[in-house]
Parts: sequence; C-alpha cells; structure tokens
Amino acid sequence: MGVSQMPVAEGKSVQQTVEILTRKLEMLGAEKQGTFSVDCETYHTAASTLGSQGQAGKLMYVMHNSEYPLSCFALFENGPCLIADTNFDVLMVKLKGFFQSAKASKIETRGTRYQYCDFLVKVGTVTMGPSARGISVEVEYCPCVVASDCWSLLLEFLQSFLGSHTPGAPAVFGNRHDAVYGPADTMVQYMELFNKIRKQQQVPVAGIR
Amino acid sequence: MEAPPVTMMPYLLQRSVLDHSLESLIHRLRGPCDNVEPETFLDHEMVFLLKGQQASPFVLRAPCSMDRAGSPWHVRSLGQSEMRNKNCHALVQNCVDIATSENFTDFLMEMGFHMDYEFVAKGHLFRNGIMEIVVYKIYCILVPGNTDNTEAQSFSYLEELSVVAPPGLDMVSDAMRNFAEQLKPLVQLQKLDPKRLL
Repeated sequence: MGVSQMPVAEGKSVQQTVEILTRKLEMLGAEKQGTFSVDCETYHTAASTLGSQGQAGKLMYVMHNSEYPLSCFALFENGPCLIADTNFDVLMVKLKGFFQSAKASKIETRGTRYQYCDFLVKVGTVTMGPSARGISVEVEYCPCVVASDCWSLLLEFLQSFLGSHTPGAPAVFGNRHDAVYGPADTMVQYMELFNKIRKQQQVPVAGIR
Repeated sequence: MEAPPVTMMPYLLQRSVLDHSLESLIHRLRGPCDNVEPETFLDHEMVFLLKGQQASPFVLRAPCSMDRAGSPWHVRSLGQSEMRNKNCHALVQNCVDIATSENFTDFLMEMGFHMDYEFVAKGHLFRNGIMEIVVYKIYCILVPGNTDNTEAQSFSYLEELSVVAPPGLDMVSDAMRNFAEQLKPLVQLQKLDPKRLL
C-alpha cells in the first residue's frame, strides 16, 4: 500500500542500512517470508514515430513485480497504467522499431519479504546495473483494500521501525480517498520512487576513510 | 526480464457462405463437432495502427465481447503468415495474444496508436477437440463508437477453421483438411493468402 525510500544512514553503506532495518523488523517479531523483486525498464518513442504523431516523445515504463508473476505493468507518468500478461514483453520486442529502450535504464529493487501479523513489509536494495542506488520500503496492511481506512494504522506501524523517516501519504492516494487500492497503485509508487532515485546522485561508498 | 518465447501459432482455413446457406452449414457442422450446443458470440473488434517510418504500420486488433460481461479484454498482434510450405494445407500466422485490463484503448492512444476501423462480429462457435470453427457475419458500425447502430457488410457469413498448435506440424493441417472435406460442397475451406486479398 505504501512504498517509500529509506535514506541511507550517515556513515553507512546501502547494505549496512538495509541490515539495520531488517534487524529492527526481526526484533519487532517479523518473520522472513521469501524474497521479492520489482524491476522497471524505460522506453521512449523512437524518432521515426514522433514525426507522424506531432507530439513530444513520451517515456513508457514497463514493470514487473514478483508478487504478480504472470503480469506485466506498463505505465506513463501521470497517465494510464495498463495491466497485461507477460506476452506484453513479446509485444515490446515486436515494437522495437517504434519504442526503444533507454540506455542503461533498467532499475530494480530486490530484497526480503517480512510478515508481521497482518502487515507485509518488503525492504529492498535499489540497483541500476552493478551499483546500489538506494533502499525501498513497501508496507501493506493485508486485510484492508481501502487505503484511506488504514493509513493511520500503517503510519503508526511504519513509525515503529522507520522512526523519523516515516513518509507522508503517497501522492497516488490523491483525491481517491475511498477508492479500492490495487496493484497498479503500488506500481505507480515504485515508478515514482525509481525516478526519484535515478535523479539522485549515486550513493557514496561509506566506511572508507 | 527476457520475453517469453512464443511457441504456439494459429493454423487457419477460411471461406464464406451466402446467407441462405447458413442454416444448412450449421446443421452440417453439428454432426462432426462436439456434442454440445454451439456457442453464440457478439464481439466488438477495434483495429489500431501505429505509424512510423517503417513501410507498414504496426497493427493491433482488440476484440471484446459485448454479450458476456466480465470477459477478459485482449489485444492481438498478427505477424507474418507462412505460405511457402506446400506440405502445410493451412495458413500459419505468427500471433501474439495479450490479456489486458479494461483501459487498454486509453493506453494504446497514449502509446501513439489511433483507431483505424471497428466492426461488430456476430456468429456461432463450434468445437471439434482442439479445432475451433467460427461462422460469423461482419457488421459495419455506422456511427463511430455506437455498436447499436450497425449494418451488415455483406450477404454472406465468414467461416474460419482454426487450431492453435506449435509451428511445423503438418499433421495438424492434414487433420484440418480432412475435417474441411466433410463440409464440401457446402463450403470449400481454403488456405487464403492475405496479401493477395489486398
């Protein structure tokens, strides 16, 4: 339900901060329940297609989430989010003359899933190529599908292990206070997180003095 | 993430029958087909094009059911058809079928596709094992987007016999040809080269 970025602790590396966070979760009583991954590939409209459309090139994000292994998510920033089956990747291969993958654009987050009572927490290391660029934290309150009904509870739970780094309500909730929360909302949050991390400078390697 | 390989392709035989032969054809099909009532269907199909500097635009077809609420939406991309194999009695086409959420038309527009044309298809679906036999009539939509206001495009029904199977299996096309023999002389299903129709 909520996806946010955890800042890297001062003087620590990405991996060390992830270990601190996961240790806090384990001390709370959360149990490890396998791993997760979310990846994102960026495509831009090929120049050959632009001229015929008379519009500026757009960026299209094609994402996958291990929670939904048979699905593929395609979205535009501030635009619609399409949920399709994995044959969408085959379609993108066929469309390579019209949409080209941006160079070195693949970004992904991988990490461990934790279950704490009705909460599902996923702490992941965000990487672009070989370099670790940040930390993602996703928290889901499983019994509830209307985000506004459980946001206060989520906030309280987040504070118990994120402390002062607890984020505000995600922009994706917007005016949709009573709307049913779905996988597309999660993917929009990951897309925004990845874009934010892409713009940040690379995390300096800590611990080398 | 690597794209999954496409391993199944539709084999196709097609022909048409005049309206007055429809009842005879349906009666003939009931014999060799599975012993269940044929399904009827009413589909609204939209065809989208994406133009670029390539010689031919990219075409996507998006059929959706009008009479079955809750049916999944899907988008279909038809690729090159294989005509050169003389041992194969059916048209084999590269086809990618993608199940999507309901907002795919908005998404395709965002990608740069525009709708080229749309039509309504109404007919019957028969099955014989893995073979599907579809007999349907095409209706033109007189006012774009209004599927209630349609007009039959011709005085005939299109019949298609199709099997989805791995490519290169001549025995599949042989089985299709043997089935098609049973429908002669009412209808003579053939391997039609789509390029020759243009």
